[in-house]
Amino acid sequence: MAGISPRIRSTALPAYLLLVGRLVLSAAFIMAALPKIQDPVAFGVSVEAYRVITGKLAIWIALALPWLELVTGFGLLIPQIRRGSALIIVLLLILFISLHGSAWARGLDINCGCFSVHASDKAPDYLWLILRNVGLLAACFCVLIRDWQNSEQGTLREGASTS
Amino acid sequence: MLRDLCIILVLTATGIVYSLIAGLSPLPWAEPVLEAGEIHLAEAQALKVIWVDVRAIEEFEKCHLPDALLFNEDDWDQGLFELMNVWLVQPRPIVVYCGSESCDTSQRIAERLRGSLPNAEIYRLKGGWDAWQE
Repeated sequence: MAGISPRIRSTALPAYLLLVGRLVLSAAFIMAALPKIQDPVAFGVSVEAYRVITGKLAIWIALALPWLELVTGFGLLIPQIRRGSALIIVLLLILFISLHGSAWARGLDINCGCFSVHASDKAPDYLWLILRNVGLLAACFCVLIRDWQNSEQGTLREGASTS
Repeated sequence: MLRDLCIILVLTATGIVYSLIAGLSPLPWAEPVLEAGEIHLAEAQALKVIWVDVRAIEEFEKCHLPDALLFNEDDWDQGLFELMNVWLVQPRPIVVYCGSESCDTSQRIAERLRGSLPNAEIYRLKGGWDAWQE
């Protein structure tokens, strides 16, 4: 470690953790998207079960949302669209937390439609679902903030080199 | 950022088109064959259901489905009492029908009955009385 500058050492751990966070987020969204893409009709039933939207809009959501999750899941690993993907994932997670909270408050006994589209015999554990999404949201905020910082530093460096 | 969002939007749209072309998803703009809570006449007949006729009494007296119960929404308690008498003797799915596909009465009464008889299997007949006539 003697050869590593203090500056690099101080940023190595957060960078490593951010990479892990990014991989976990990416895997979570890709794993969540695949069963829904394979069976959008069953996912549509899960969407309607929240009793927020019904009919054709629910079919459109069941068709589009899994692809958005898949694209943003992979997008977190692609530098060109990383920030856009992180921003959409933040918005999606806020939406999911709100929907779970609303379903919990209304006492709905539904399949959450998160990682599986098929009904489960167990009642949904809303507290766990919300805490899991809050954890993912925190990880996503870290990724987003770090990318903004990196982008700003890059802009400053470019400005300094041109002047 | 705008460029990021455009790329994501294009990729998502490509995925949606793939799902539609590959037949993974029904066409969202197509008329649904059967709405939630509806049943086809043939399936209802196979299940030997309890028919609930919610048309006007004149239409009921003129003609109705075999063993159908007349259900007047204005006399809800009496209708529910008669229906429960039949259902409790031999629990079977209950199918509510009105005049045609476009009438809302059967949908509304089926919804109310689901609240009154939460353990019963209650449907609305697709196409209503017209489906029987055909």
